Amino acid sequence: MILSFTGRKWFIILTSAIVVSLLIFAGDKAVIYTSTDDFCNRCHVHPHSNQSWIRSTHYDNQRGIIVHCSECHLPPHGQGYLKEKIKTGTRDVNSAIFKDIKKINWEEKSRPDIAVRHTYQSSCIRCHENLFTKGLSKEGEDAHLYYNEHVEEVYCINCHLQVGHYSENVIHAKNVQFGKEKKIDTIYPEPARITEFKNYTEYIPGTGVSFKMIAIPGGNFMMGSPMDESFRKEDEGPQREVSIKPFFMGRAEVSWDEYLAFFSAMGTEGRSSDAYLNSLNATNIDAITGPTPPYGAPDQGWGTDSYPAITMTYHAARIYCLWLSKVTGKKYRLPTEAEWEYAARGGTTGPYFFKGDPAYFEKARYKNKLSNSDTSGIIAYVNYNLNSRGKTVPLGTLKENPFGLVNMLGNVSEFCQDWYDPGTYSAYPPGIVANPTGPLTGEEHVVRGGSFRSETSAVRCAARGRTWSEAWLKTDPQMPKSIWWYSDCIYVGFRVICEY
Amino acid sequence: MKPKTNELSRRKFLGNAAAVSAVGVLGVGQFLTACDKIKIPKDLILPPLLEQAPDGEVIKAGVIGCGGRGTEAAQNFLDAGPNLQVVALADVFQDRIDQCRKRLKEVKGVDISDDKCFTGFDCYKKLLEQDISYVIIATPPYFRPEHFKSAVEAKKNIFFEKPVAVDPVGIRTIMSAGKQAEAFGLSIVTGTQRRHSPDYIETYKRIMGGAIGDIVAANAYWNQSKLWHRNRMPEWSDMEYMIRDWVNWRWLSGDHIVEQHIHNLDVIHWFTGKTPLRAVGMGSRQRRVTGDQYDNFSVDFVYEGEIHMHSMCRQINDCANNVSEYIRGTKGYTNCQDTIWKPDGTVLWTYEYPMKDADGNPTLKISPYVQEHIDLITAIRTNKPVNEAERIAKTNLMAIMGRESAYTGKETTWDEMMASELKVGPKELIMGKVDMEVVIPIPGTAPQE
Repeated sequence: MILSFTGRKWFIILTSAIVVSLLIFAGDKAVIYTSTDDFCNRCHVHPHSNQSWIRSTHYDNQRGIIVHCSECHLPPHGQGYLKEKIKTGTRDVNSAIFKDIKKINWEEKSRPDIAVRHTYQSSCIRCHENLFTKGLSKEGEDAHLYYNEHVEEVYCINCHLQVGHYSENVIHAKNVQFGKEKKIDTIYPEPARITEFKNYTEYIPGTGVSFKMIAIPGGNFMMGSPMDESFRKEDEGPQREVSIKPFFMGRAEVSWDEYLAFFSAMGTEGRSSDAYLNSLNATNIDAITGPTPPYGAPDQGWGTDSYPAITMTYHAARIYCLWLSKVTGKKYRLPTEAEWEYAARGGTTGPYFFKGDPAYFEKARYKNKLSNSDTSGIIAYVNYNLNSRGKTVPLGTLKENPFGLVNMLGNVSEFCQDWYDPGTYSAYPPGIVANPTGPLTGEEHVVRGGSFRSETSAVRCAARGRTWSEAWLKTDPQMPKSIWWYSDCIYVGFRVICEY
Repeated sequence: MKPKTNELSRRKFLGNAAAVSAVGVLGVGQFLTACDKIKIPKDLILPPLLEQAPDGEVIKAGVIGCGGRGTEAAQNFLDAGPNLQVVALADVFQDRIDQCRKRLKEVKGVDISDDKCFTGFDCYKKLLEQDISYVIIATPPYFRPEHFKSAVEAKKNIFFEKPVAVDPVGIRTIMSAGKQAEAFGLSIVTGTQRRHSPDYIETYKRIMGGAIGDIVAANAYWNQSKLWHRNRMPEWSDMEYMIRDWVNWRWLSGDHIVEQHIHNLDVIHWFTGKTPLRAVGMGSRQRRVTGDQYDNFSVDFVYEGEIHMHSMCRQINDCANNVSEYIRGTKGYTNCQDTIWKPDGTVLWTYEYPMKDADGNPTLKISPYVQEHIDLITAIRTNKPVNEAERIAKTNLMAIMGRESAYTGKETTWDEMMASELKVGPKELIMGKVDMEVVIPIPGTAPQE
């Protein structure tokens, strides 16, 4: 193994030396040779790169045209071809020598936000000159008109990701089958009955889905971060003393099992307007309509079951709570930002609910590459960009916080019901703030806790995030855009609370 | 792929604006010494404005929609140059075909045989199968998206009248078919003749050169007397009556802000190079005789940078009439047509018309209605395609945006209009009964979905 790996290194070093000299002495021929599929495939042996290409429409099509590696992964000749070839070539040779190919997260690199770095828009357009081809569907026309209006913001592969490397999980089409194959063994006839203030398990009636709810005692805490906390941001202050009533909170984020119970009960082909949804409340909840089929695979192919549900919109999360309240006869809703932070801290006052300084973990992270620095303190609790491999983790992977909640920090960011405003804390009246609910109006909502993509700095208890409604729907090809599914956000989920 | 649009792209516009302000700063001394010396940018994309289309292979044209405008446009086309023929006619009504045919015979000596004349709702399909390469589309606006799309698919060069659609769904049909036409190398010109009028064009060049500085405000007016209406004949079905009285029905004309005022809105779109972000409008129906349209609109359009454009249109007798545009800049103002003023009201520049008409008024040598065909034929024969589809679609959407705001009383936004699924008109086109219950839009009563 070691030998063969070293052998490969030497092969690469030798090859690159040859490439450089060839480039100098043989010019054109070398450029052509080093752009062949065979040459690319010598190193790009990572799972399925070749197989998924052969299954894609850029290889397997009715016209017999084969589009080769360098035709997409380099710009066209005369449009920075040589420059990019040298740049990417150097990068590849460097990774091949100094990085362990097995440790590279290829799956993450194939997601649109990262794939745009090694797939050239100009190359797509060199061949696909006419975006309004014969037989293009109405939806396609609308989507391409949208692209024409937003050329600088939208890439071809935002919608057409699977054309070069095929994957079921990224097909940009209505996924009517999603969440429909689930087999159920037990069906719960009745919801949980709450008789006293202690942890309980909720059963969604008529389904096989249950989930744990933790009793969170009331109390006072300091909301926000002190001035001297590492990576503190301006919007986390000034710190305020806040009092919180007791409530129950989901032990983990709402899982796919839970969300799909809602989806299969209420899923619809129709759509409802925002105005309509805003008019819904506990009294007219009978009128609920449910989510439309998503585009592609909302779970990104990572798994459903106890993985946290993602890509549903803020509206969808809100309607889920209304639905859950209705079927269980309780009052479920999204937590307020204050309830969320109170629950996340679980009585602690530091940057995290466990011991450790974000600055240390950050440093350790970089040192980690050379020596084994200690990040065990954080990775036992938090799924973030150090240990996540670019994915969420299912329930049961990480340890609880002092209240018994899991995945409060990292994994997926969580919707709160408050509107986001950077000056929220200073706008509260002086003194102890009781059960604050944030600004009265706003444009975007608060999200909390950071996610599997976050840095150490963003998975602190006090770190605040927000929704980006426009950006998260950028590539939704529908007009009007979906109110149920985000097309461009895979790192936000939510957790419910139940009022006591 | 570079967008081959005839219009200045947004970036280009900003680039020009930057160049303009630089000129402004440097040019102060110049203005003091030589007031009428106005810079004209060299990279503007403008029609060649030949007095006659160049000779070439014969171009055979068909006319879809043989009413007054269609018949006139056919003559304008024949006047545009040598080797031009009108060979086929299509209209939903036979009498329209007969009148058009007779007129073309009398005025132009053109004979069109019976087998080249088509009637009924699908007349356009038969016409497009003929050996023609040039189509004039002058049907009521409701029909234009479908006709335009079919003409593009049949690979015809197209002259089509404004407006091009009555709802956002139609607008997007025009936009995507326009893009297809671009890919086929077809040429497309629309009936916004101000863009083919030398006086407007000379003014435009100077405004682009910075003659009034940066644009800070604008107005657009189409206030005229009552437009025509038809009284119903007993033998006409609902559908026949509506189509014959089309300028009074919302689903057919798009209402007069779309149908007529689009000319002025297009000038503002042209001179600013931009589309508005949002609009709040109002309007009502006071004196109209038939149909279900408003007869007055007033709309406040807001652009990037909080620049406002006030648009006003009315079709009522015995009121103050005005059909014009006005743009104010940091260094002066213009009527967009032929004059530029300094801020103090003294004339900085004025267009010199080449001749006088019968009444002694200064006039252009070539009617813009003919010029637009000359420009289109020139594009075809010199193989330099022009494509006005996208820009007219955008102007058209702007008018729809104002109209919808007036109808509902709500603010409308560009993005919302671009994405809107609004589609008007009956489900089926049959020459028979139509739901003709007149429902006039009342602001503030839009259903809260």
